[in-house]
Amino acid sequence: MNHIQESADATVPTQPQGFSKQPSQTAARLTQLKAENKPAMIGYLPFGFPDTATSIEAMRTLVENGCDIVEIGLPYSDPVMDGPVIQRASQIAIENGERIANVFKAVEAVAEAGGVPLIMSYWNLIFHYGVEQFARDFAQAGGAGLITPDLIPDEAGEWIEASDRYGLDRIFLVSPDSTDRRLKVVTQHARGFVYAASRMGVTGERDALDIAPQTLVRRTHEAGAEFVCVGIGVSNAEQARTVGAYADGVIVGSALVHTLLDEDGNAKTDTKAALQDLATVTRTIAQGVHTARQ
Amino acid sequence: MSVLDNLVAGALADQQIREQQTSLAQLQEMAAAAPTPLDAKRWLRRNDGIPVIAEIKRASPSKGHLTDIDDPAALAREYEQGCASAISVLTEGRHFLGSLEDLDAVRAAVNIPVLRKDFIVTEYQVWEARAHGADLILLIVAALSDAQLHYLLELTHRLGMTALVETHTAQEIERARAAGAQVIGINARNLKNLQVDIDVYRQLAHDLPNDVIKVAESGIFGVTELNTYALAGADAVLVGEGVATADDHVLAVRRLVKAGELVKSSQDTPLSTKEGPYFGQFGGRFVPEALVNAIDELEQVYNEAKQDPAFQAELKRLNEQYVGRRSPLTEAPRFAERIAEKTGIHPRVFLKREDLNHTGAHKINNALGQALLVKRMGKTRVIAETGAGQHGVATATVCAMMGLKCRIYMGQIDARRQALNVARMRMLGAEVVEVTAGDRILKDAINEALRDWVTNVQDTHYLLGTVAGPHPFPTIVRDFQKVIGEEARDQLKEWYGIDHPDAVVACIGGGSNAIGVMNAFLDDDRVHLYGYEAGGDGPESGRHAIRFAPGTGELGMFQGTKSYVLVNDEGQTLDTYSISAGLDYASVGPEHSWLKDIGRVHYSWATDEEAMNAFRDLSQTEGIIPAIESSHAIAGAYKAAEDLKAKGYDHPVMIVNVSGRGDKDMHTAAKWFGYLTDEQEAALGDNGAPGSHTA
Repeated sequence: MNHIQESADATVPTQPQGFSKQPSQTAARLTQLKAENKPAMIGYLPFGFPDTATSIEAMRTLVENGCDIVEIGLPYSDPVMDGPVIQRASQIAIENGERIANVFKAVEAVAEAGGVPLIMSYWNLIFHYGVEQFARDFAQAGGAGLITPDLIPDEAGEWIEASDRYGLDRIFLVSPDSTDRRLKVVTQHARGFVYAASRMGVTGERDALDIAPQTLVRRTHEAGAEFVCVGIGVSNAEQARTVGAYADGVIVGSALVHTLLDEDGNAKTDTKAALQDLATVTRTIAQGVHTARQ
Repeated sequence: MSVLDNLVAGALADQQIREQQTSLAQLQEMAAAAPTPLDAKRWLRRNDGIPVIAEIKRASPSKGHLTDIDDPAALAREYEQGCASAISVLTEGRHFLGSLEDLDAVRAAVNIPVLRKDFIVTEYQVWEARAHGADLILLIVAALSDAQLHYLLELTHRLGMTALVETHTAQEIERARAAGAQVIGINARNLKNLQVDIDVYRQLAHDLPNDVIKVAESGIFGVTELNTYALAGADAVLVGEGVATADDHVLAVRRLVKAGELVKSSQDTPLSTKEGPYFGQFGGRFVPEALVNAIDELEQVYNEAKQDPAFQAELKRLNEQYVGRRSPLTEAPRFAERIAEKTGIHPRVFLKREDLNHTGAHKINNALGQALLVKRMGKTRVIAETGAGQHGVATATVCAMMGLKCRIYMGQIDARRQALNVARMRMLGAEVVEVTAGDRILKDAINEALRDWVTNVQDTHYLLGTVAGPHPFPTIVRDFQKVIGEEARDQLKEWYGIDHPDAVVACIGGGSNAIGVMNAFLDDDRVHLYGYEAGGDGPESGRHAIRFAPGTGELGMFQGTKSYVLVNDEGQTLDTYSISAGLDYASVGPEHSWLKDIGRVHYSWATDEEAMNAFRDLSQTEGIIPAIESSHAIAGAYKAAEDLKAKGYDHPVMIVNVSGRGDKDMHTAAKWFGYLTDEQEAALGDNGAPGSHTA
């Protein structure tokens, strides 16, 4: 048995960590909001866009203007789940020298400001960084969990293990097309909340929302999810209010990113004004979310 | 006293107390009345999985208290429900807080083998295990003399039980084997950092014969360690804390069992009939959840179609009557002479003429097969990506023939260097979308196609053109392309009276023509297989699409699959470059990565210059103009011949796959070789083809 050798050497370091029994930060926040009959406002921005310092400032702006949870996107060269706005912002971030190792500063900033920090990343970036190492660094920075748009639970063995060891949330996606069986698989392996894509497709603003998300949220709850948050396509306060009436959280991305881009798809040069725009839009949508059930 | 001595002494003291209650004779009576032991060996090795021994574990001396287990029977049932192969019950009470009552409760609760885990050094303890219904007991070599080990092992076997014989060193393994151990547990924990050291495990397990069942029993917490051990050859694993302290015990065990099944399924032979999702560690389905339904459906429909004689007959008919199969196998004696001049050996070279297929390349084999699947699924819209345009043309062609709506995504740079193919696709009624995102080449076209698919998955099929992407694409595309090699093998016999080739040579981008021509030979060790990647300006230049050479590709996930990928130090996909649009791809099919790792295929590269020289060589020796993609295989033929020479061949028989014809590349070639005057060049217009400018 293992202990024979383990205890034989007095200088051995502490045992590798087992399951962290730390409760889910995300679920804790969602529970608290639920008690106030409020859905969560979840804001997304790509890290490093338009540059590292400004993006950290922007994340803080999100929290200060009503975001309960911040989804920090890691820019990726091949973002297959993202529409043009987030593709563009990610590209700008990469061109401006975004480094994954710095994302933990953004995590700390969000946590300091009182938000729950999540990271959204395509899987190759985490895999390349090292799954265990990422979990360790992320947890150390106060991170709550990871949204994985191209990692399904069936392929997530290494991440499930690492997240269990470090007490991190695993936020997998479901889509209107998901069968009941898939909803069960996802729900069973998720921690924190389940991310319901409001419609088939990639991220981006939409004038009108399908009625699909309401059904999907209900079905996902029925599959056993405690919290279901809706993202993709929510772009204004009115839509946010509609979605907030039935979802545990509303995820807003492109509409926020948009405030930092000019008409030609470049980062706005007047950073201060851009951040003010971001604050205004965030505040307006957050207001919509938080008053959804009143 | 060592720690182990202490633990043994404690166990012995406890035994003495129990002996006062129950004599050995009484135990023997109980053992006679106990249920017949299960043959645990049958549970501990499977062809289709890695058996998991799940442990009822409350505490350990090193980690102290782990978890309360009020109802060990319920926990054991949960383990069984999660498909554990055996339950380990700690019966040591002092440090592990276990008991024989736990063993009784578990025995009564489950129908799978039960292991008594304790510090067993006496005959009494062995009888006791059997009396309480154990099928397996733990014997720790370090705690026993040779005589004791031999005696207790013999007794265990006599009582119909199996012993898990725990070892830590090569010497202990030797002692265990000498004593007749059939199931050996290997503890490979590195003393310095307490991490499991897989190299230690490999060294220890290396010399064990196949009739010994190898159980990895240290530090297995979850899927990561299970995979590592399974790939290192462990037959079974023992897991304690990772399942006992999990929130959901059923799920924790099931995850491990599933991971083991995946590893096993990836190691099947023969090589040629290997099915996804995994080829070794490569492959899988790294896709958005929104696509899972579609790829599940595709897999299901394909599996049905594969068994359906009507489907196969229709595919065969169209292959013959529409595509023009079989494509010829043409001997190339004048080109062979060029190889002889360069290498000094005298090969016979046979060209597999995929260039003579309808639409001029091998791509139609797959496009046709998948289009038939589209019909079967009842979908009405097809999307596809294309690099050189050949797959786009093939897809547009079959869609025109079958009346399917078709949209082709093509990177803007590729659309310029293959402008004629853009026109062809439009002529065939397809909509061609130029992709301006990213690097504007093949990978970006695939990204855009994936985005389209995520959005329109209900009525749309993504007709992926190569053996990459998520499972089941690598398997399906391989199956539709393997006709190339099967025909070549038969034609070599029928037309030329040659039993088998000594070498098969192909170019490799995603790898569909290479898999297609190689599949029929994968299990024939007499045939050497060579794949040539796009070397661009050479591996040191940074301008290439070489994924397999040292210092180039790394393990990663890209566009739905786990394979070798060209990435920078942040994990972002690198720009690739090749004169050949069709090979200009940052990753490679997972089956190729596997064939590389197991050493079945020899992969190397041909540079732009080598490929263009080969393009001219074949044109001028045989009157056959190959695609620039295929020219990498022609250039590779020289290199393969050098390798065959080094292996001692004087007159090797080589099959070279001419995956497509070079008409589409004539402008690029004319520029490269300066065949046109400035006026002629201007008349053709600058289409952005590389050769005379930098892309």
